Amino acid sequence: MIKKKKIPEASIPTASMADIAFLLLIFFLVATVIDVDTGLSLTLPEYVPPEEQVEVKIDPDRMAAVLVNENGDVLIDGNIVPIFQIKDLLKGRIASKNNLPKNKKMIISLKTDRNTVYNVYIAALDQIKLAYFEVRDEYSNGKYGKKYSDLNEEQQNDVREVVPMIISIAEPESIKK
Amino acid sequence: MHFEKRRANAKTEIPTASMPDIIFMLLLFFMVTTTMRETEVLVNFKLPEAKAIEKIENKRLISYIWVGKDRRMQINDSIIKLDEIQNIMYAKRQALPEVIVSLRVDQSIDMGLVTDIQQALRKAYCLRLNYSAMIKV
Repeated sequence: MIKKKKIPEASIPTASMADIAFLLLIFFLVATVIDVDTGLSLTLPEYVPPEEQVEVKIDPDRMAAVLVNENGDVLIDGNIVPIFQIKDLLKGRIASKNNLPKNKKMIISLKTDRNTVYNVYIAALDQIKLAYFEVRDEYSNGKYGKKYSDLNEEQQNDVREVVPMIISIAEPESIKK
Repeated sequence: MHFEKRRANAKTEIPTASMPDIIFMLLLFFMVTTTMRETEVLVNFKLPEAKAIEKIENKRLISYIWVGKDRRMQINDSIIKLDEIQNIMYAKRQALPEVIVSLRVDQSIDMGLVTDIQQALRKAYCLRLNYSAMIKV
């Protein structure tokens, strides 16, 4: 009978395991991009061919026209205002319509020239959105004692019902031709 | 006065045997959350800044359109022309009905071009839009 050789214990050295794991960890830490997409959301109206377009008369009291020309001057209902004042001017008018029925809420129309710089347009749109957000915050503070973003879904829907965000992005004139 | 040094007799050693496990756990977390950048942006742009910013809750739905300083437009991996947008976006919308279009437009672009893109999007029925902007502090 052959004598069995004693087999030495086979083992993988695990001391460097932590180092390897660390290396991998650092690689993924560095490679991770957590970039959140932020921006101003908007829903475009459906495309209607020009021959099917119908003009709807809107009560001028409901409507605020914000015009931005190519130099970045802002006109609200015929008055020239600085761009950072759009918010304060519109806030009161939006809030005054809180108790009115759905079809009487404020509509803000934003119209630009084809040569207006994008940056100015975004600044104006930003101001309009801020106005709506602040009115929503004030309303929810008055009713629920909380900010709009802290409300639950049902309450948010309620606030959205009272202060709907209606922004109309008018087409520059030359496109309608 | 004589102070006696007070020191616990117990062994003070942190067990390191479970270290690799902890590290692996972290590693797995980062591996799962990492998204490698799929598209290479070919145009040069600087986003405008805004305060009334919202986060897009669902990243899967986003489809980007880049517009660079030099008015070049990019969708997916390629530079495209204005009249191609409608067809490309229509195909995207058919694949994903609730697609959100994120416009990453350089801040010095004129509104004419932006409006043309919007018209193309309207014709393609991609109506959910997002003007990508940085947070103004």
